[in-house]
Amino acid sequence: MFKQGLWACCVLTTVLAGSHAWADTVRIAEHRQARIDALQAVIPKIKEATGVDVEIVEYPGPDREYVSKLLTELAAGTGPDIFSLPEISQVVDFSTAGYLQDVTAEVQGSEAYGQFYDIAKQLSTSDDGKIYIMPTMLSVQQLYFRKDVLEKAGISTEQPKTWDELMQRAIDAKAKTGQYSLMLPMGVTWGGGPFIEGFRHLLAGSSNPQIATDDGKLDLTSKGIGEVFGFYEQMVKNKLLPVDPLLGPEPWVIPKYQMFPAGELLITSCGSWCLIFDWGPKSKNPIPDVTKVVGTWAVPGKDGGEHVMVSLSHPWAVGASAANPDAAKKVLQAMGSIDLMVSYAANEGNLPARKDAVDNAEFQKLTALVPIMSYLDKGAYLKTAPGFSTVVEGVARATEALLLGNTDAAGAQKILVDYAKSTLGEDQVK
Amino acid sequence: MSVSFTRREAWRNRFLILPSVLLLAAFVVYPAGFAVYTSLTNEALSGPAAMNPRFVGFANYAKLLTDQNFWRSLAITFWFVLFSAIIGQLVLGLLSAMLLNRRFALRPLVNAIILMPNAVPEVVAALMWASMLAAGEYGTLNNIVAWFGVDPQRWLTSFPLTMIIIVNIWRGIGFAMILMTSGLSSISDELYEAARMDGANTSQIFRRITLPLLVPTIFLYLLVSTVSTIAIFGLVFALTRGGPAGSTELVGIYIYNQSFNSYQLGYGSAVAVVVLVFSLLVGMLYVRALKVDV
Repeated sequence: MFKQGLWACCVLTTVLAGSHAWADTVRIAEHRQARIDALQAVIPKIKEATGVDVEIVEYPGPDREYVSKLLTELAAGTGPDIFSLPEISQVVDFSTAGYLQDVTAEVQGSEAYGQFYDIAKQLSTSDDGKIYIMPTMLSVQQLYFRKDVLEKAGISTEQPKTWDELMQRAIDAKAKTGQYSLMLPMGVTWGGGPFIEGFRHLLAGSSNPQIATDDGKLDLTSKGIGEVFGFYEQMVKNKLLPVDPLLGPEPWVIPKYQMFPAGELLITSCGSWCLIFDWGPKSKNPIPDVTKVVGTWAVPGKDGGEHVMVSLSHPWAVGASAANPDAAKKVLQAMGSIDLMVSYAANEGNLPARKDAVDNAEFQKLTALVPIMSYLDKGAYLKTAPGFSTVVEGVARATEALLLGNTDAAGAQKILVDYAKSTLGEDQVK
Repeated sequence: MSVSFTRREAWRNRFLILPSVLLLAAFVVYPAGFAVYTSLTNEALSGPAAMNPRFVGFANYAKLLTDQNFWRSLAITFWFVLFSAIIGQLVLGLLSAMLLNRRFALRPLVNAIILMPNAVPEVVAALMWASMLAAGEYGTLNNIVAWFGVDPQRWLTSFPLTMIIIVNIWRGIGFAMILMTSGLSSISDELYEAARMDGANTSQIFRRITLPLLVPTIFLYLLVSTVSTIAIFGLVFALTRGGPAGSTELVGIYIYNQSFNSYQLGYGSAVAVVVLVFSLLVGMLYVRALKVDV
C-alpha cells in the first residue's frame, strides 16, 4: 500500500512538473525562412531576458496560407501563444474576433515604447484606445526604378509629379527600351500584394485617400477608388506589365526576382526589403551595386504631391488562448528589443520601429536601409475598419479581372463593391 | 439453427461493424451534422461574427440562390465532371482496359504508364503540370509545341478549364482502367467464342456483348468517379487556385474560398451542405434509378 502511494506521488509530481514546464514554454508562430532565421538568432537573448522557454513553430510560407492556418487554430482555441499578423489591417479583424490579448499595459510599459516612432504608436493603437500588438518593424514602400537602364535610354529619372507623368514616362520607357516598364502587383494569386504593394499607394494620392469612414464603414464607391482602377486599366491597356507571370502560382518570382534584376522590368512598387531580400545581399539573384543602379521615387499624387507608404510590418500579438498569458506577455515585451528589430532588418529588409535602433552598430552596417529611416516621420497610411481584409481580397479579384482584360475600371470597382457586400453585408459598405 | 445461436451471430456481427460505425460517426456523420448547424449561423473566422455567431435560419441558403458566383462554380463543376470523369476517364479507361486485355510486347510498360499518375501525390502532380503548362518560354509544353512552329501559349490562362480537365483525365484513367479490367475479366470467353462462330465482327461483339455486360461496372465507376470528382480540390487548387478570374473555381474551391479566404464559415458550410445533398442525389440516381447492385 505504501509502495503504491509512493508510486502515485512520483507519477503525480512528474505530471505536474511536466505540465508546469509546458505552461512556461511560449510557442511563437513564425513563417518564411528569412523571418525564422531572424527570430532564431535572438531567441537566446529573449530567453535570457525573460527566463521563459521559447519555442518557434514553423507555419506555412505564403501569407494567405499562414493567416488561414492561424485563424483556423485560433477559432478552435489551439493557436500559438505569440504570432505576427502580416498586415496591419488584420489587427481589427482579429481583435474583434476575440483572438488577441489586450497588451496595452505591457507595450506602454516596455522600455521600447518611449523610443517608438510616432507612426508606430499611432498604427498600433486601436480606435478604442487599446493596444493589441507590439510594433517591431515598419515598412516604407515607394516606387523603385532601374536608374541605369532609364538613364541609358534617355528617360528622365526625376521624381514624377502626377500619375499622368508617371504613366507617360513608363510608356516612353517601354517604347525606347522594349522592356516592361511599370508593374504594380495584380491578381488573386499574389494574396494581399495587389492592395498592400500597389493599390493603397495610389489611393493615398487620389481624390478620396481613405477607405474607412469615421463611423467604421468602408467607402468603396468613392471617386478615388475609381481613379485608382483607371490607372491600373491604363497600365494594362498600354501593355506596360508582364501579364503571364502575374497569373502564375507565385506571381512575384519572375517579375521581382528575375525580370527586375535583369533590367527587363524598369519600374515597380516595393518596400525597403527589396534592397535586402529581393535584390540585395540576401537575394539569390542580387543586383550588383543595388543602391547605385536602383533609384526610388515617392508615389506621386493623382494631380500632384507625393508620399511614401508607411505601415507596420508583421506586428506581434499574444493569442487569447495562450497557455500562459503572463509568460507570453513577458516574451512580447522582450520582443521590442533593438536586437530583434535589427535581426529582422538584416534578414528581411524592413525597418526597426525604434528610433534608437539607428545608432545600433549592426544596423549601421545595413547601408541601404539607414537613409530610408528618415521617411518614417512623414509617411502616409490608411485607416482600417472591421472587414478591411475583405477589401484586400476584393482588390485582388478586381485587379485580376483588369489584368485579363475582362473588365474596365468601373467594372473592377463593381467587382470590389459586390465582393465586399456579399461577404460583409450591405451595412458595412458605404 | 437455434434461436440463441442466431442471436449470438447477430450480436457478433454488430460488434464487428462497430469500429466502422464509430469511425463513420466521428469523421463523417458528426462533421456533416456540424456543417448543417454551422450553415444556419453567421459563423465567421474573423471579425465580430467569430466571437458572437448568431443563428440566421436559412439566410445563407437564401443568399445562395442569388449568388452568381455559386451558380457559376456549379456550372464549372458540371462541365468538369462531364468531360473529365464521365467522358474522358471512362472512355480512355475502357479503351486502355481493352488494349491491355490483349497480349503484346510492351503491355507491362503501357500498364505502368497508365497507372503511374495514381501513384503521384496530388499536389506533386499539380506542380508538375504547372511547370508543364507554364506560360511564355518557361513552360515545358510551350517548348514542345515550338518544335512544330506554334507560338508560346498561356495554357492555364487561355484554356484553363480545358487544361484542368485534361490533367484530371490523366490522373483518373488508371482507376477507370482497373475497374474496367475487372469488369472485362468477368465476361466469359465462351460468349465471345460463340459470337465469333455465329459470324459476329469486332464491332458487333463490342456493342452486343462487351458493352451490355460491362454496364454494372460502368455505372459503379460512374457513381464513384462522379461523386469524387464533384468533391475534387487539391489537384485543381494547387494548379490554378480557381483562377484566372474564377474560371476554374470548382465548387470545392468555392467552398474553401468562402470559408478560408472570405472567412465566412456559415456561408461556406451552406454551400457544402447543398453540394452534399447534390452528391447524394447523384448517387441515388445511379444506384436506384439504374438499379445497380452496389
